[in-house]
Amino acid sequence: MQNRRAFMKQGAMALFASGIAGGIPSFIARAADANKIFMPYKKKKVLVCIFQRGAMDGLMAVSPFTDLNLKQMRPTLFMSPAATEGKQFDLDGRFGLHPAFESLYPFFGEGRLAIVHGVGSPNNTRSHFDAQDYMESGTPFNKGTASGWLNRAVGLLGHDATPFRAVSITSALPRSLYGDNEAVAINNLQDFAIQMRGNPLAANMVAGSFEELYDQTTNKLLNRAGKESFDAMKMLNVNNIKNYQPSAGVVYPNSPLGNSLKQIAVLIKMDVGLEVAFAESGGWDTHFNQGAANGTFARNAKDFSDSIAAFWKDMNAYQDDVTVMTMTEFGRTAAQNGTGGTDHGRASCAFIIGNDVAGGKVYNNIKSLAKEDLEDGRDLPVSIDFRASFSSVANSHLKINNNKILFPDWKGDGLNLMKG
Amino acid sequence: MKCSRTIKSLTVGVSLTLLLSFSNNESYRTEHNVKMPYKKYGYTDRQAAARLLDRFSFGARPGEVDAVVNMGIDKWFEQQLEGADTDTEVVKRLANFKTLGLDNETIVNTYLNPGQIVRFAVKNGLVNKDSIQADKKAYQDQLRNLMQQMGLRPLQELQTELINQKIIRAAYSNNQLHEVLTDFWFNHFNVSLTKPQCVQYIQTYERDAIRPNVTGNFSTMLLATAKHPAMLEFLDNASSVSDKNRLVNKRVEAAVQQQLEKKADDMQSAGSPLAPFAQQAVQARKVQGLNENYAREIMELHTLGVDGGYTQADVTAVARALTGWGLRPLVKDAPGRNLYERGLQNNFGNRGFVVEKDFFFRADKHDDEAKTILGKNFPANGGYKEGEEVINMLANHPSTAQFIAKKIAIRFVSDTPATSLVNKMAETFRKTDGNIKAVLITMVNDREFWNQKSSREKIKSPFELAISAIRATNADVQQPAQVFNWINKMGQKIYFYQAPTGFPDRASYWINTGALLNRMNFGLAFAAQKIPGIKIDLAALNNNHEPESTEDALHVYSNIFLPERDNKQNIKRLTAMVADQSLAQKINDAVEKTSPMQQQTEDNMMDAMTAVKRNDDKLALNKKNKSIITATLPGNNSMMAQVAGIIIGSPEFQRK
Repeated sequence: MQNRRAFMKQGAMALFASGIAGGIPSFIARAADANKIFMPYKKKKVLVCIFQRGAMDGLMAVSPFTDLNLKQMRPTLFMSPAATEGKQFDLDGRFGLHPAFESLYPFFGEGRLAIVHGVGSPNNTRSHFDAQDYMESGTPFNKGTASGWLNRAVGLLGHDATPFRAVSITSALPRSLYGDNEAVAINNLQDFAIQMRGNPLAANMVAGSFEELYDQTTNKLLNRAGKESFDAMKMLNVNNIKNYQPSAGVVYPNSPLGNSLKQIAVLIKMDVGLEVAFAESGGWDTHFNQGAANGTFARNAKDFSDSIAAFWKDMNAYQDDVTVMTMTEFGRTAAQNGTGGTDHGRASCAFIIGNDVAGGKVYNNIKSLAKEDLEDGRDLPVSIDFRASFSSVANSHLKINNNKILFPDWKGDGLNLMKG
Repeated sequence: MKCSRTIKSLTVGVSLTLLLSFSNNESYRTEHNVKMPYKKYGYTDRQAAARLLDRFSFGARPGEVDAVVNMGIDKWFEQQLEGADTDTEVVKRLANFKTLGLDNETIVNTYLNPGQIVRFAVKNGLVNKDSIQADKKAYQDQLRNLMQQMGLRPLQELQTELINQKIIRAAYSNNQLHEVLTDFWFNHFNVSLTKPQCVQYIQTYERDAIRPNVTGNFSTMLLATAKHPAMLEFLDNASSVSDKNRLVNKRVEAAVQQQLEKKADDMQSAGSPLAPFAQQAVQARKVQGLNENYAREIMELHTLGVDGGYTQADVTAVARALTGWGLRPLVKDAPGRNLYERGLQNNFGNRGFVVEKDFFFRADKHDDEAKTILGKNFPANGGYKEGEEVINMLANHPSTAQFIAKKIAIRFVSDTPATSLVNKMAETFRKTDGNIKAVLITMVNDREFWNQKSSREKIKSPFELAISAIRATNADVQQPAQVFNWINKMGQKIYFYQAPTGFPDRASYWINTGALLNRMNFGLAFAAQKIPGIKIDLAALNNNHEPESTEDALHVYSNIFLPERDNKQNIKRLTAMVADQSLAQKINDAVEKTSPMQQQTEDNMMDAMTAVKRNDDKLALNKKNKSIITATLPGNNSMMAQVAGIIIGSPEFQRK
């Protein structure tokens, strides 16, 4: 310990010289003590979850275009691969991908994109709040569940963690990450520093004072969190984030999702121990004029698709370690409404992307869109429980196998969405 | 005591219940007084005062410890329990708020969300449905004009005032314990701005259901929350209905439903802009049925606790007992409003409907059949009274006494309170039929409250941290929204906690990596007056006397911000860090003299870690290296701010 403190003091002097806010992380310091540099957190598998808030119209994203009922119910919204009907990408002769997902379409052909269709919650609530709550807690019939399913997944990883094991690029912790396991919610990674505007040197000095105080406090929790915070801060040199350059040729859309995924990419490339990441995409509640080939939906879809595609390209050498999974609280009515939009429905679709994904396939149990096959005569019924999809991806990619903890009230079988 | 059994046999209901519990309180008050045994456990008067202020206020203001000592420790607590002090400062600061006194009906018809405004405009033919494009400026302007003409206000204003009033009251109210308890009970009976259906009611919920009851009778508060629109909507009880009802003619009902569906279909084929809403209404009507959310949470979270001894069958039965508990149609011209008005004129044919302010018991949607709840039989046709009886039974259940006692002890004593203390508080809860004031008195009179071991284990929530900083510095908050932003950043978006559990009350929830750095940054920004709209005068706190040295400043401000704490060690350590001018000089020297060799090694390390260059920053730092010296010069204002910021961000200030 004395060695470490001595090193830290030296480090504290040197850090001013090199402009590294706050000094050297203690684990690097320990490594330096032993005359070696090691990367204890490198090459962890990373699961990136994207929540599409507002309920994406799964029937427009991926349309069962051969079903004549759909055309009938959606006089102005219907699309298909036909040149006159919006030129969707024909996935398998039955399902067509909306043209705004152009940047994701190649992933399907390469077998890296699996689509799960007719997926949703067994609880038939059509309230955004409730449906998100149930999907994120992972317990569709129990509101009192205190923790989120991703937090429980983190708890099942079963190895040492850095402060950056679970990170949400949002200002508040999402329901999915509520729980006992440490998770960081941060809207902007650049906030991760001791900040004194216009006075970076004083900030360094103050950081030193704080570190000293937290190191000495008798409160164990404050002491530990203090240590982790300063470690985290040093790991995450803010200047590096500010000046981050994505891989050659990668341009992220300048949108909330684009920026979130870019920050996740930074964390992954910095090898700070990220294993579960969370981001959000908004604007999917398309009650009015959602448009077909162009319009609100198409704009959202393009941003969504381009952001993910940019992220994937940026991942470069890390692609084998990363799986991206999207989710949305429910789907929308099979029929369009009187204002060129769609109302709250039941099932939607989800995208799973990664090299370990058994892709190139639309996983579904969808029968037809005839009125008698719809739930309450109006909505695409849920024929795949979201937990079957989530558990397949999480279990395989993060190597956790405990559905009892992950989804306590669920006894179903997972899908086989992943290779191996 | 066995008083509750007497009540059960009475059919007279709520007024008698209140009367009985009231007389009970009166007798209690004469028997028990506040007599805190702090001296016995090694506290001086000042230490005891500081401890009380730490736990029962949002933090001591400068000089407040002395004020409490002068008043008398016990007396101060009694006065806080009464909570009847005049609050001129709060009144002054809230004078321009427009929404605080409004009723639910005015609010729902005035403060609309964007969707409602569009709907309203389309419905009245004021906006062409094809022109709806939320991102067009012209369209936005059109809507804004329209709102002005109609006297409508954006919902955002209501939310902002809700948040701001909480911050202002917490910072400036003299009735601190009532503010702390309002925060506690709101969180216990949490509702959330994340759920659109209840956002408009949260203002009145806190004001009418929570605030008046915070030191009163638990069952009164429980019933008030159960019947308030915010809770009815948040946990869906408003939509929980049954058709097991003698008033329902199923044949007529089916015919009505068919008619409505046809009407909605006609609207759809005619391309009416209102068709989607008609469809939704018809759909909602059809999928209506039993909803168990509230029934589950009232037992699990509000009364018995998850291990309180109830089963799924009890959940279903409680849900059935509460079917028909909803709110009256508040929106003018809304479907059902005319029907309701007509019904009201003839007291709904005396068929057992109940209207009480905005609460509306729909007798025709209530499950009339017999039920068994927690072993007690409720005969058929119990109507509204049945639900009330169930709620009183839950409020007075022994598990509730234990659960509530523990939750209060966790808030005010320790994250892991002594069982003996919880048991004593629970006993008082039972003996007084849930008199909260009596439970609090039992707590402060107990040795465990004064146990030195647990005295510093509670960690402030972000809200408590921010408000305690405001109070410790006598800050003038002109823009409470800025305080909210920081609280949010530190991890506590007040009024937005999505789960009905409310924010967890334990240190480990609040203290984590990102949050802790934000707490330190808050301290620095706050003290340096970098938070817009918050003014502090550090010199004034020290009688306009500028500290002579950094060490002096550390002494002065530690003792003002952290009265009666052991600050010696901190001051000693910080003095070495902050005040050492030669250190500043050494650093500057180091900047200039760092050998290329040394730098190289570090570059290797950092490159291995991040592979990103940072030469530019090095240059920037070299240019600015003078500032560190000025920052630590004695008498320099930024030195005072730096010292104050470090104290606010320090571990000691995070502890209650």
